[in-house]
Formats: sequence, C-alpha cells, structure tokens
Amino acid sequence: MAFHHKILGIVTLLYLILFLIHVIYVAARKERLVALIWIGLYVTLGLHTLGLAMRWAESYRLDIGHVPLSNFYESLIFYAWCVNLIVVLMKKRLAYPAITGLACLIALFLMGYASISPAVDRNIQPLVPALQSNWLHIHVLTCFIAYAAFVVSFVCGVLHFFEWKGVVPPEKAIEEINYKSVVVGFPMLTAGIFTGAVWAHYAWGAYWSWDPKETWSLITWIVYALFLHARIVKGWKGTRMAILSIIGFSSVIFTYFGVNFILSGLHSYAT
Amino acid sequence: MSATKSKRPEVNPAKRGILASIQAFLTSVTFTIMLLSCIAIGSVLGTIVKQGADVEEYLSLYPEGTYRIIRLLGLDDVYHSPWFLALLILFAINLVACTLKRFFSVLKGRGRTELPDERALSAMTMSFRVEGSMSHETITGILPRGYTHVYRGEDGVVCEKGNLSRYGALMIHASIMLILAGGFIGLITGYKGSMVLGQGETKNLITISGGNPKERPLGFALKCKDFRISFYPGGAPKDYVSTIEVIDRGATVLEKQIRVNDPLCYKGINVYQASYQKVPSFSFNIDGENVTLREKDTYNKDGFMMMVVRFETSVHDFGPGVMVAYLDQGEPKTTWFLRNVERLRQKTIRGITLRLDDIKEDLYTGLEISRDPGVWIVWAGFALMLLGLFVNFFMYHRRIYARKTSKGFIVAGVATRNKEAFGEEFERLKEKAYGIPS
Repeated sequence: MAFHHKILGIVTLLYLILFLIHVIYVAARKERLVALIWIGLYVTLGLHTLGLAMRWAESYRLDIGHVPLSNFYESLIFYAWCVNLIVVLMKKRLAYPAITGLACLIALFLMGYASISPAVDRNIQPLVPALQSNWLHIHVLTCFIAYAAFVVSFVCGVLHFFEWKGVVPPEKAIEEINYKSVVVGFPMLTAGIFTGAVWAHYAWGAYWSWDPKETWSLITWIVYALFLHARIVKGWKGTRMAILSIIGFSSVIFTYFGVNFILSGLHSYAT
Repeated sequence: MSATKSKRPEVNPAKRGILASIQAFLTSVTFTIMLLSCIAIGSVLGTIVKQGADVEEYLSLYPEGTYRIIRLLGLDDVYHSPWFLALLILFAINLVACTLKRFFSVLKGRGRTELPDERALSAMTMSFRVEGSMSHETITGILPRGYTHVYRGEDGVVCEKGNLSRYGALMIHASIMLILAGGFIGLITGYKGSMVLGQGETKNLITISGGNPKERPLGFALKCKDFRISFYPGGAPKDYVSTIEVIDRGATVLEKQIRVNDPLCYKGINVYQASYQKVPSFSFNIDGENVTLREKDTYNKDGFMMMVVRFETSVHDFGPGVMVAYLDQGEPKTTWFLRNVERLRQKTIRGITLRLDDIKEDLYTGLEISRDPGVWIVWAGFALMLLGLFVNFFMYHRRIYARKTSKGFIVAGVATRNKEAFGEEFERLKEKAYGIPS
C-alpha cells in the first residue's frame, strides 16, 4: 500500500475520533474537550494536506505527474479537506460543537466513501488530454471551497430544526453563520463556474454547452442567488431560510454526485 | 407643462392603477424570483429529457404520446426553445428595470455628505466625546487606513470608507446583462462546426452540426500536415497533436501544432483538436491487380462487381476482417476475408482470384471550428461580476463624523452593513482617541 493511502487512512480514523470526541462532549460537557477538538482539527488538516501532497509527489514518481484533483476518489478526499479548511478558517464563527461535529461527520463520510466504495478507483491515473490544463487547479479549487462552504450552510439549515441548549447554537447565531457561509460559498461557486467556462472555451470550443454538470451548477447558483436575495432584499428569516439552504445543498449534491451517476455528459471524468 | 399634460387622453384611474401595478410587478424582486425559479425548472427538464437526439432515439425511449408532448413543448431542445429564450429575455428586462431603480436610489443617497448636528451625532449607536483643547481634526490623523474626506470644515469633518461597496449589487447586475448580451451576440453571429481531415488533406468547408447537417465555407482552408496520438504506458491516450496549416488566398499564413486545450486562432475563428477517427482501407489483389478500397467503395471491372460492406476489428477472435458483397448470376452474396487467417485470405469467386493483402487504419483528425464574437463581452461580464461580488460582500460602506463641541469634540460612526466588524474598528478608534495626550 502506498504511503499516501496510509496517511489518508489515518486521517479518516482521525475524523472518526474527532466525531466521537464531539459525542463525548455532548454527554460530559467538559470545556477542555473543545480545545482538544480544535487541536484535533488542526492536526487532521495538516496530515490531510500531507496525504494529498504525498499523492501528488507519488504521481510524479509514476511519471504521470499531476495535481491530485483528477478523478472521483481524488475529488472526494479533496472535498473532505476543503470542509476541514473552511471550518478552521471560520473558527471564530463556528465555535459550536454541533457545527464542527456535523462537519467532521460529513468529512468522515466523504473519506470513508472514498476508501471503501467499490465504485471508486483509488489508483493514480494518468491525466487524459482534456484535463491537461492549468485551469484544472483553479477550477476544482474554487468549486470545492464553494461546496465546502455550502456544507456549513446546510448544517445550519438542519440545526435550525433542533433545539439543544449548549450544543446547538442559538437561532440568531445559526442564521448569521448560514448567511456568512453562503457569502463565502456563492462568490467561490461563481468563480468556479467562470473558470470552468473559460477552460471549456479553450478545451471544447464553447464556454457554455448546457452539459448536465454545467446546467446543474447554474441551477445551484440560482438557488443560492435566491437565498441571498430572500435575505437581503426580502428580509426572510428562520424556517424559510433553513429550507432554502437545504434545497441549495441538495442541488450541490446533485451537481457533484447525481450528474455523474445518473446523467452523462462532458464531465464524465469523475467516475 | 400643465397644458401639455391636459392634452393627453384621459386615463381611467382604475385602469391606470392596473397598468401601474403591472409595471410595479414586472420590476419587482418577486417577479425576479419567479423568473429565476422558472429558468431553474426549465434547466432541470433539459437535463432529464434527452436533448437534440433524432426521432428514432426518442421513440425508443418514450411512448409516442409522450414524444408528441416533448416536441410540442420543445423539450427536445430546451435551451434553444422559444419559451426558454422568452424567460431569459424577460429576466434581462426585469434585471434592467430593477437595476435602474436601484441605481437611482444609490445616486440620491450619494450627494448627502453634510455633517449632522451634535444632538443627532450623540443619538447614533456608536459615538463618544473627547474633552479638552484638541481640535476635531486630530481624529483624521488616527483613522484606520482607507478613509477619505467627504467634508472638511470649521465645524467638523466627515470621512468615509468602502464607498464602492454601494455599487456592488449594481456591478453584479450589470455583469449579468453583459454576459447575457455576449451570449446573444454569440448565438446570433457565431457558429460552431466540425471538420475531419486526413493527413495531407486540405479543406475549406466545415459541417455545421444540427438536425440536418449543413456545409459552410470557412473563408480560408485548413491543411493537416501531420496528426499523431501518443499513449501512456497503460494505454490511456496522452496527447492528440495535429499540425495545421492555415491557407488564405493560396498562401500559407499560419502553421501551428494544436492539441486539446491549445487551439489555433485565425481571423476570430478558433480551431480545436476535438477527436480523431480511424478509417480502415483494404488492399486487395484482384487477378494480379492491386486495388485499395475503403468501406462502401465498389469495384467494377469486366462485368465483375464487388463492394466492401463491413469492417470488423475482430471477427470471432480471428483478428480484423472485411465483408465483401458481390453479384453471383444476378444474386447478391457476401463473404468474409480475414487478414490473419491464411485460408480465409484468398478466395476465388466466379473464376477471379481475390486476395486481401492488408488492412490499414488511417488516422483522421477531428477538428472543431467555432466563431464567437461575443466571447470577450462574456469575459468582461465574468470579471465585472467577480469584482462586484467582492465589493458587495467583502467591503462595506461606513462613515465617521467628528464635530466640534463647546468642550472638545464628538465622534460618531455609522455602517450600512457588517456592524459587528465596524463596532470593533470604532472601539479601537475610541481607545486611540483617549490615548492621545491633550
């Protein structure tokens, strides 16, 4: 087994442990655990970064060197990395165990699915000609940072329906975090769509081909544009915003997974 | 003024009410939300129903009744259907109206830079007083970076920062209009076609794909000097490279190696490496004569007629083979020639000896050719939107007032958004102001 697989295996285990620490925190309410959770998140992010870097280095050793963002497995582990990164970057706002706990659970799911599912090829594959472009880096990076920010928004949308003193943040805080995460995610998604369009212009000869993935990313963009207008212009609050963020994330999930599995199109590299 | 007004035909107040309310609705955010939802639903339909396939394919997928409905609603080509375009146009109109409305309100707010009186300043949620002999001007020295004066007088100063953020929404909306405009220009004046070139071949016509493919002159000719495919050790394709020569009015004006992600551009027309084709050719020896035939080619000599019907890269694991049809006493018959099976390589038909010498596969490069004059407008729209998003969400407008009072001066601040961050900034300013020795 390659070194990077081992490191990423440890990272997956760490997400599990971090989630369990959250569970213990909910039961025992020891404030010291919160500090432990944040140290754990930083350490895991570091190791996760190392795992990605090792995989990158390994691809050069195999003489097919490319950034590890080229197939479904790599996108899954990169997505988990982005979720962790967003949580760490938004630390000041996300200092609630319910949010970090659910984020760890989602990262654990992504890592677990990447390493267990028989549908996922875990080998480093050479880059097909269409992906040999510098736009690959910036396109995938912006898209997945957006997807990760929308994970936070989704978690807030779900938490709106639960009340649990000391675990679930107060209503006002949830709304603020939800809005802030969309404020990060929406420009990133926009940048992701634009870099994709410019790339498509140079690779496929058209910046927009109504390919299912393109179309679904536009649908996702429209949902989050509606979210922002509903809040800023119409002043919506509470349950309606929570439902909008859940609809938005469903659209993200469909753009990411659904299109690959159900619809065929130009973006068929990922499976 | 009043005279011209009275000349207008009388409008029933109730009727005008309806017109005004229709106008108000068409320029409302509610209408935007409805339109965007419809565009989203239409887009979803376009990804569910198969797009741009031919009749046979639809009938194999859906019952005839369903197919009629699909055709009637244009669901076989949603993104170019009249109703979808109408939605986009309505959206553009709504956007222009909303943006203009907003722009005027921003313009109105811009002019007001006067300094409020002392009572109004102390009533603001963020304010503090400094007593002593210092002038209100000292505050300008300790403001964080980026503040500019909008008013400076004997009685006080007004400074602001992030004024640009007030135009953020405007920039975003204008950028959508740019993108839509660029898209429409491309749709009307642009085209997209393809060309298949063998090595050494020159063509000046492209095939415009669609329901019924059309040919269209390119205005110049393209010659494929060379085409190569390279593979990774595992067998996956690594690189497609075509060496293309542009020939304009008989002269070679440009030569470039094009590959996926690296097109050629000449006179606003882009030439992309899109695909490749392998076209087999068959070398036959017919009664001592060497003949090279391709699929569907016919050979006719001295009353003997044959045609190459089908090619298979592998016939029952015996390697490549070709099926040939011929007429035997007026009756059509077929037979297979297999290159790797000696017994099936040579056959005698009606006293003529036929031998399959070789099967070669020639590589053809598949080029995609497109012209889109709107693309730079779209790029400009992209840049403007990213700038607008940054300005709108990561900058915010705030003002700080300092006014002379009888005992010293009073400082107050307001922010349109992000009051939390501004509160911290204001607190730091307060600490600094108190720290200055008077």
